[in-house]
Amino acid sequence: MTRAFVHKTHSSAQVNHYLRIVIFFISLLLFCGCRTDHRFVKKAVFKDSHEIAITFAGPVDEAWAENMANFSVYEKPDPDILSDIRSVVLSPDRMTLTIHAKEPISQEISHKVVLKEIISGGVSQGTAYLTVKKLYIGHLFSILMGAMIIQNFVFSKYLGLCVFFGTSRKKSTAVGMGITFTIVIIAASLMSWFFYQFVLKPFRLDYLQLVVFIGLVSLTVQGVDTILRKVNPALFKAFGVYLVLVIANCIVIAVPLILADNEYNLWESLMLATGAGLGFLIALFLMSCVRERLEFANIPESYRGLPIAFIVAGLFALAFMGFSGMSLF
Amino acid sequence: MKEIIRITVALTISCLVAGTVMGGVFILTAKAKKHNEHLNMQQTMLGLLESEIRGKPGFSTEELDFCNIYRYIIEDKNKTYLGYVVPAEQDTGSGYELLLIDLEGRLITRHRLDLLSERAMEEQDRAAAIANVLGSHEHARYAETMIIAKLNDQRIAYLLPGKFPGFKTFIHVMAALDSDFNLLGLEIMSHEEDPGLGGEIEREYFKNQFKGKSFEKLRLLEVIKEPLPEEYRRYLEREVSQKDMARIGKEYQDEDIHAITGATISSSCVTNGLKRMVKKFVYRIKILDRVSL
Amino acid sequence: MPATTKTNRQLFVNGLLNENPIFRLALSMCPAVGISTTVMNGILLGIAVLFVQVFSSCTISLIKNYIHPRIRIPTYTLTIATWVTVIDLVLAAYMPVAYKAMGIFVRLIVAFAIITMRLEVFACKNDLWPSFWDGMGMGFGFMFGMVVLGAIREILGMGTLLGYDILGFRPILFFVLPAAGFFTVGFMMAIFNYVETLYSRRRKENNIV
Repeated sequence: MTRAFVHKTHSSAQVNHYLRIVIFFISLLLFCGCRTDHRFVKKAVFKDSHEIAITFAGPVDEAWAENMANFSVYEKPDPDILSDIRSVVLSPDRMTLTIHAKEPISQEISHKVVLKEIISGGVSQGTAYLTVKKLYIGHLFSILMGAMIIQNFVFSKYLGLCVFFGTSRKKSTAVGMGITFTIVIIAASLMSWFFYQFVLKPFRLDYLQLVVFIGLVSLTVQGVDTILRKVNPALFKAFGVYLVLVIANCIVIAVPLILADNEYNLWESLMLATGAGLGFLIALFLMSCVRERLEFANIPESYRGLPIAFIVAGLFALAFMGFSGMSLF
Repeated sequence: MKEIIRITVALTISCLVAGTVMGGVFILTAKAKKHNEHLNMQQTMLGLLESEIRGKPGFSTEELDFCNIYRYIIEDKNKTYLGYVVPAEQDTGSGYELLLIDLEGRLITRHRLDLLSERAMEEQDRAAAIANVLGSHEHARYAETMIIAKLNDQRIAYLLPGKFPGFKTFIHVMAALDSDFNLLGLEIMSHEEDPGLGGEIEREYFKNQFKGKSFEKLRLLEVIKEPLPEEYRRYLEREVSQKDMARIGKEYQDEDIHAITGATISSSCVTNGLKRMVKKFVYRIKILDRVSL
Repeated sequence: MPATTKTNRQLFVNGLLNENPIFRLALSMCPAVGISTTVMNGILLGIAVLFVQVFSSCTISLIKNYIHPRIRIPTYTLTIATWVTVIDLVLAAYMPVAYKAMGIFVRLIVAFAIITMRLEVFACKNDLWPSFWDGMGMGFGFMFGMVVLGAIREILGMGTLLGYDILGFRPILFFVLPAAGFFTVGFMMAIFNYVETLYSRRRKENNIV
């Protein structure tokens, strides 16, 4: 009893430790997202579909804020085309400025705001060139959720089906396969990303990507196999069987190809790979829950086994269609 | 030990053989791929311009001349310019010029580019030629291509390849404008919308709704959710007689865009994307015309 | 399994019906669900798979004596990846429209279990000709499955066949939707199962008689 208790506190301490690391990274990213390029401007964010809000470090002069010629807003890729500004409103404490554009501002594109010669208390603070964009963490999170649920690889992109139907018969196998797969795909995708960015692309060897990616996947599988066997034989006994199956799963080769096609950076790649792995885990778990129940159902003879599993997967796919087009942040 | 060496040697040899095969095929196909892509593009452009050029006297495809204008964004230390690579109209034969225009639309300088016309299609060759004439602290970034179609040295149309975000990923399109910036047509080059829903944007009855919209109308174009009238649909799919064509076309001249059933978002993505694209283009081509004359 | 004793014709029919990769072996399901919306897609991907399967089978059966048993699987993967790259490059160069329609699936042929399985089960133990016919059978079997699925979905969903309007209206739009791929494959498998039970029952009855 005490031993069990000690074990529990130990593991919860470990969880706490991981949590702290995660929080540290999130706050780091948040910090990077909010920083502006000018010392007098604290924050510049999209507010509404038409507005950009700018917060200053000190109160600015009203006379300056009233002169519309001091402000210009444009989309970063099109610096020559200025957005039409309808009004500029200064808050009562003179710390926050809201720029209201005539046409909706697309938050997908980062915008540049130029504030000419900011005057605060009669003193000029210089011209500020600000970049306004969505929070980077939001972007990353939307990639994660996108790969996991909205564009679920199994139910919306129809990849990895052989392994999906093969291992979703029981909950325990499903979870085992899902976890193994997530680990392998994260490792393999990151390796593929490095190889693509630093070897294949600079030397114009793009056409070798398939061979290199599949090679890296097999290498990862072999590596995980060897490490697991040495480090944790118990775990190997539980998950070793699924390792071989991972190679036959198209998702594991599709993700590196998508990364290469879309020119994702390291963080985005990590998120996409994690999302793909977790999405596969979710899909397997949902499916295995249903299939365990199906064992006891009275199904017409010719539908037993795979056919009914396909029908169930079709129903899931229909349900997942409801997520499509959803955008977070 | 001997075994390991044998395995390694065998693997290396097979990798080398495989690599040679792939490399060989790549070299063989690379040229054909480029050629076919170019041909495909050419066909799309001709298809879009068909209605405009058919009526012109003395027309033949050979007389039609496409000249490409490449837009670059050039960043100095703290200043941004727009750079346009345009065909030079000098007696020295075919060549290209780089026009540097500041953000207010004033011409800063002209540089003569060391670029042959058959090389101008290649992005890398263009970038190298531009880097040659620019200062060391100036950095050029490719933005887009615009195409002017000329018939007997007379501008008859503009073609704009472009892309914008759709419901799922990017939608690549090509739009055609006549010399007064009225929309001649829209072609969807590639997209990844759902088949049966958003995928319908490539069907005639959606694409052709944009055909013939004037620039003034296009600026205010909206997406409406009303069902497409049967007569209008037949007109859009070109299933009515010549006589009716003109009448129905006139009747629905200023009609807004009817959204595709079940794919309102895709429809409005295309409409809004096109609106923005054309507006930006018109703004820029006017400046370019003013400065280069 | 020793070298096969079947004739070439038996091998071909075996791949087409008895061991149809999609409906019987239930391998390479991803394209069967994902891009079987039209007959044309089915034919095109079928051709691509056919080429990869035949070329890989032939290559492996030719070099089977030189393959070290320890690196068997990597050699298969390498062979398949090479042929897929070749097909991918050729398609991209000469058939850009078709290539666009199939999207990422051409390159994913690399991970199709059916090809590796045939190499492991058949090609590495047999001579060139049987391997060739086995590859042909599997390739055509795959194409047959894809075409059947494509035809069902195209006719029911869009009222067309190979792009030609044959019904003049759209009976059940649902079948074009991506999710319907699952249902179509499920129904087809059930039909195959049903036919098989009928056959085996009749055979049993004949035996008794």
